[in-house]
Amino acid sequence: MGLMRINVGPIHPSTHGVLRLVVDVDGDTIKNVEPHIGFLHRGVEKLCETRMYMQNPSYFEKLDYISPLSWDEIYVSAVEQALGIPVKEAAQWVRVIQLELQRIANHLLWIGTLCNDIGQMFTTFMWAFRDRAQVLKLLEDVSGGRMFYVHLRLGGFQRPLPPDFAERTYNLTDYLERNVLQYRDVLDENPIFTERLRNVGAISERDAIDYGVTGPVLRASGVAEDVRKSKPYYVYDKLDFSIPTGTRGDSLDRYKVRYREIFESIKIIRQCLDMMPNEGDIVGMPIRLIGPPAKPDTVIVSRELPKGEGIIYMVPDKQRPYRVSIRSPGFINLAALPKLSVGAKFADLFAIFGSLDVIFGETDR
Amino acid sequence: MSEISGMVAADYEAVMPYSKERFANAERQMSELVKSSMQGRKEPVNAMFTRMSDISKMMSKGLLNWGRTNSLWPLQFGLACCAIELMDFGAARMDAERKGFLLFRATPRQCDVMLVAGWVTKSVVPRIKRLYEQMPSPKYVIAFGECATCGGPWWESYNIIKGIDQVLPVDVYVAGCPPRPENLFAALMKLQEKVSGKLAGDTEKGLSENIRRAEGKTL
Repeated sequence: MGLMRINVGPIHPSTHGVLRLVVDVDGDTIKNVEPHIGFLHRGVEKLCETRMYMQNPSYFEKLDYISPLSWDEIYVSAVEQALGIPVKEAAQWVRVIQLELQRIANHLLWIGTLCNDIGQMFTTFMWAFRDRAQVLKLLEDVSGGRMFYVHLRLGGFQRPLPPDFAERTYNLTDYLERNVLQYRDVLDENPIFTERLRNVGAISERDAIDYGVTGPVLRASGVAEDVRKSKPYYVYDKLDFSIPTGTRGDSLDRYKVRYREIFESIKIIRQCLDMMPNEGDIVGMPIRLIGPPAKPDTVIVSRELPKGEGIIYMVPDKQRPYRVSIRSPGFINLAALPKLSVGAKFADLFAIFGSLDVIFGETDR
Repeated sequence: MSEISGMVAADYEAVMPYSKERFANAERQMSELVKSSMQGRKEPVNAMFTRMSDISKMMSKGLLNWGRTNSLWPLQFGLACCAIELMDFGAARMDAERKGFLLFRATPRQCDVMLVAGWVTKSVVPRIKRLYEQMPSPKYVIAFGECATCGGPWWESYNIIKGIDQVLPVDVYVAGCPPRPENLFAALMKLQEKVSGKLAGDTEKGLSENIRRAEGKTL
């Protein structure tokens, strides 16, 4: 039987955005997958060159609209390094707390949509969105925005924290820990779920490094690589947390790595709340269009995003970036999709693609 | 007798002040009205059947509108950030089912409402047009968020069209970047008002009636 070519997308409920996959199948087995991207391209890097430094965070938040704060933080850090502005001590702790809250929100949404993709319709989706709504509520009360919080300023934040922030965050971590443990009943101990994902889309340690995948996809293959450990930023070197890794590198391991990362994030948040200074100013510089002149020639900032390692390469000019280049984890992870899915069944295509956690805002830029 | 009859006639005039001339005038006016109304017609219309068909039309229109109003099925189709809020709209916090618009369908052939949620690039425009054409009539479009309304933050971008209304006839615009799920709820309720005929302009607009399209301002 010859090859048959199937077109998937670009508008498809399981592609989490606008992705076109051209799949060659032999019977039910995938022989080749060719992703076509660029349907959401809008030229972020070019738009940034025409704007002052602190007009750009809004664009960077829209790169990854599931965890906007992470990209916002990379860009603001790049500007801080370019202009030589130190981050206030208390603000570093609060940034770590909020980044980890954002990571939890991202992983919760990912778990919900993965279960939709593999046909476990709506139970976990509803649970995950219920828990994610609590995280978003806290971040909304802190920043003022429900989904896009442009509240990072050079050296700190836009405004001081609400007085009950620490108490509410403690309660939120308790709530999350209690509720996320319930997922184990319907997912981890459910043979329908585990057999659907086990040995699906497996990638070896060697191949994962060769393809340049990062984040939970790399860690599921057994490589304990995390920018928070290898190149610690802010206060991550003072915190005690572990890097969850998998062994087989399949979709189930990617689920388990992300599931355990939620608890690691909860651990980090609790440590931060315990160790952070009780009093301290976290308000940064106001948005001034004419700032101090930039010092170094190039700035490279690397951060551990919820989806992988994100890098910003920036050539600063006096008041605006001369060039901004983005290394987005989704783009690199998507490039491994043909490697992961060749040989699998066609029905497993979205069990593999969904486990990669690709978002097209940052893939297409 | 004459007196009596005269008195009776006077009383009759006092009670009902009509005369033969006035009746004749009314009769003439009526016949003129009928003649003028029949001028445009080739053959006289059976009044009875006209009335029945009118009644059935009115009844069926009301019934159809009632049905359409309370079962607006949105197309499950997200482009960018606003699609995440769309997912939140379909999730547990917003009970959208009580108003009749929960069922997100993945195929355009079962849907009534297209929610354009996200920025629309030039390469996606033909796909969106295709989806819109596949939807059965009557169909409605909601521009959800700044990008679909007017281009939003990507106004200066070279690859984004400044609003989906350059391509499709939009019924309801939702402001916000992104709008909250509650805003989508309000927009769908506004659309329900429009479908049920409470607002002016509830007739369905075709592709060619788009003003901007008629002016040749599309891409």
